[in-house]
Amino acid sequence: MSMPLHSLQLIDVTKSFDSTIVIRGVNLEILTGERHAVIGPNGAGKSTLFNLVSGMFPPSSGEIRLRGRSITGLPPHRINRGGLARSFQITNIFHRMSVFENLRVGVMARHRERYGLFRPVARMHRINDETREILALVRLDGRADHMAGDLTYSEQRALEIGMTLTTGADVILLDEPTAGMSREETARAVELIRDVTKGKTLLIVEHDMSVVFSLCDRVSVLVYGQILATDTPERISANREVQQAYLGEEAAL
Amino acid sequence: MRTPLLIVVVLALLTGVPPFLGLGLQNTFINVLIACLFALAFNLLVGQAGLLSFGHAAYYGVGAFTTLHLMQAVEHGFAFPTPLLPLAGAAAGLVVGVVAGFFATIRSGVYFALVTLAIAELLHSLAPHWQGVFGGEAGLSSMRMPWAGFTFGSTLQVYYLTLAWVALSIWVLWAYTRTPFGRLTLALRDNEQRVRFLGYDAHATKVIVFAISATFSGIAGALQAIANETANYSLFSAHVSAQVVLQTFVGGSTVFFGPALGAAVFTVFADQISDLTRSWQLYQGEIFVLVVLFAPTGIGGIVEHHLRHWRQLDWSRLAAPYALGGFGGALVAAAAVFLTETLSVLFGEPYALMRKKAGDGYPSFDLFGIHWAPTNPVTWSVPLVLFLAGVFLLLRARREIAALWDAIRSAPASQTADDEVDASLQSTQHSPV
Amino acid sequence: MEFAIVSALNGVIYGLLLFMVSAGLTLIFGMMGVLNFAHASFYMLGAYAAYAVSSRVNFWVGLLIAPLVVGVVGMLVERFLLRRVHAFGHAHQLLLTFGLALIFEELIKLFFGDFPVNYRMPENLRFAAFTVFGTDYPFYRMFIGAVAVIMFIALYVLLARTRIGIVVRAAERLPNMAEALGHDVPLVFTSVFGAGAALAGLAGAVAGAFFPTNPNMALDMAIIVFVVVVVGGLGSLKGSLVASVMIGLFSSFAVGIDWSLATLCDLVGLGAWARSVGGLLTMTISSISGTIPFLLMLIVLLVRPAGLMGERN
Repeated sequence: MSMPLHSLQLIDVTKSFDSTIVIRGVNLEILTGERHAVIGPNGAGKSTLFNLVSGMFPPSSGEIRLRGRSITGLPPHRINRGGLARSFQITNIFHRMSVFENLRVGVMARHRERYGLFRPVARMHRINDETREILALVRLDGRADHMAGDLTYSEQRALEIGMTLTTGADVILLDEPTAGMSREETARAVELIRDVTKGKTLLIVEHDMSVVFSLCDRVSVLVYGQILATDTPERISANREVQQAYLGEEAAL
Repeated sequence: MRTPLLIVVVLALLTGVPPFLGLGLQNTFINVLIACLFALAFNLLVGQAGLLSFGHAAYYGVGAFTTLHLMQAVEHGFAFPTPLLPLAGAAAGLVVGVVAGFFATIRSGVYFALVTLAIAELLHSLAPHWQGVFGGEAGLSSMRMPWAGFTFGSTLQVYYLTLAWVALSIWVLWAYTRTPFGRLTLALRDNEQRVRFLGYDAHATKVIVFAISATFSGIAGALQAIANETANYSLFSAHVSAQVVLQTFVGGSTVFFGPALGAAVFTVFADQISDLTRSWQLYQGEIFVLVVLFAPTGIGGIVEHHLRHWRQLDWSRLAAPYALGGFGGALVAAAAVFLTETLSVLFGEPYALMRKKAGDGYPSFDLFGIHWAPTNPVTWSVPLVLFLAGVFLLLRARREIAALWDAIRSAPASQTADDEVDASLQSTQHSPV
Repeated sequence: MEFAIVSALNGVIYGLLLFMVSAGLTLIFGMMGVLNFAHASFYMLGAYAAYAVSSRVNFWVGLLIAPLVVGVVGMLVERFLLRRVHAFGHAHQLLLTFGLALIFEELIKLFFGDFPVNYRMPENLRFAAFTVFGTDYPFYRMFIGAVAVIMFIALYVLLARTRIGIVVRAAERLPNMAEALGHDVPLVFTSVFGAGAALAGLAGAVAGAFFPTNPNMALDMAIIVFVVVVVGGLGSLKGSLVASVMIGLFSSFAVGIDWSLATLCDLVGLGAWARSVGGLLTMTISSISGTIPFLLMLIVLLVRPAGLMGERN
């Protein structure tokens, strides 16, 4: 089975809410295996783009393709089963369950134990082992039995990323994973993201240009619901139009 | 380690004691067991999945009626073992639960609650007119038929049948919480959106949870039909749905056995108190509101909270304020009861007649074995004094208790024994619905 | 023909009555996110308060005092009870109002007994408004409808045209912003809750003199009102109005229709067979008229889950 060239394609995608047009015709092609960042000023529509791709709501027009197959208008769980997973900008975990259980929910889905009613989950060794692996991967093994709601902010962000991985998706969308982190925490998070997305396709929304530079192969700039330019990080930061529209203050990077 | 022992003891008591009790108490035990099962089935939906249903009587009633039809068939010669009758209730609960659940879970939150209420009311309004299925206004009746040497004629035999089914059902409901789907149910309540994005069809999941809850509610209804040998449309009434809501939340919906505790307490309460006063439902409602306001995790939640911190509880210091608070609460309750019963007498029919005879005056009346005069301020100062004294003691006690618990909470909890308690008692974590 | 006109009138008026009660419920939900299970209890309290006053003083004084009393009760409930459980979440608010509904019903039974009370309209209102094909149409029904219409107009003008209305609508959309602008939003909430309760109380005071006044009236009204708000869409006043009138008309017409599925089978010559089968096929629409609102609700849910006029959040 050959891997398609593009894992994700957005074709003339628009989205309006009542009379407000948020996404005005976006064309974007994400190569399989690449790490691709979407940057842009606040209100440009980055989260909306993620919501469209992950199925939170359908586009007003246009098409979205995952590995060549249309996922336009599909509900989130179908898109996830198709191999795409996303994290949330505002931590969206299960506050009242343990860290271990938070991760296990996604692992169960991957093992098709969605309606498993006849065996105790404690005895499902493959699921539990795999959960422990991901736990170690996001460096939360010490907190396995703690309630997710009791974790520190950056621990919760790590859990958020971990949960995104549990379903075994190979197209990962991370929505501002380093938001609110200190420089040390950000550096650690970047290492983590690099580790966990080896061999996968990554689409990441970021404000921090240092993260983009150290992590990503290509960058797309989203301004007022349209893609201004897509290129390598170096060329983007040198691009005059982009500088004017967005990087103005941050050009010295 | 502690809990399995407790369960064995309870089961032993439930098995060994009833033969020595009178018929009345045996019947009470049967009602308590059925109510416990119904409440636990209900809590599957509410406490675990976070879906507040106000019309669960529908599945209870459907289970009862279906079982009665099967009983009638057996009466007329259809060979079906009497002990397996509740299967009919389970099947009916399952089928109706799937259909109803499909509609109800299209919406969530408040809408969901309203739809469940409307579905129960639909059955409640339809049943009296449908002679064939629901026996119209009179309902259906049948008789328990003997099987394999048992006549099922005595209350005791019915009791053991009920006990067997309830124990089995509770075990299954408990095992459910340990399955992958059981854990998914909790996640659904915690954050439905995330569950969707992890690849689960949330609507299908909710329908399944609803169906399982309805199945066991149907078994509870079946057991009632077997015990009473009759059923009519009042089984669909809002009163039945309301009772299970009250019982579940007073008992505590965040702990697995909480609803069973609430069911037992309220069923016994209704049984004993309804003979003493006409206002027993008022008292039930007031207890419920007080629990919602001041103890949202219910009795079970409070017990679980204490067990979790057992090692750190210094009873030499806690005992006094707890006793004080208990006494204060008792005084307030006494005031409320006194006032209610007095008003009940004064506004009742017999007193109106007494007044007419006394030429529209305000004659004295008897209450609690004492003669009271409504015009005498002493009569009204009794509840007032009781109330004020009780509130005063409660406030004093609350301050001390809060201070002691603050000290406990800031100290780190010991892990091992408490975790065991956690695992065996809980199916969910802390916060109430 | 006579049946059609009378049923239409009855249906519209009953629908307007339903609207009087559901308007408060839907307003309160739209503004505070609280579904007040005890809302129909305010309806009942209004009827009983009016009865208590009118049997001692006068019907009209009762009509005046009852909504005021119920409004005060509503404000007390919001201020001292609802606000306490607000922090615990929506489910707890639901449970609290549910418990309150039970308590109100039992309190009414405590003071007034289990049986209906004799709350009746005054003699001078007991005449026919007009005659329809030989049948007298009672004036009091028109009176009920008139009160509902006046109330709706007053509500509309208040919300849309006055300063109070603007503050209320602002507090509904963006409570934090309204508070930042110096408005006492908690007071607004308490007042709106009280106003909604008073509305239901007025409905009870007016309707209770015509329809039976008994401790069950809260439950009966509550369930229909809940169907109304599901069908109309919670938070939408217009939706409530449309749904109320729809359900009013449906119920009113259904009561007089003796058709059943068997009647339908008559058209294709299978009438006799249908009647021999009995059960569901011979159930007349009139006998299940009470069930029709629920069927309507289920249909709306399937076709248009958000209700007729959509919903707020």
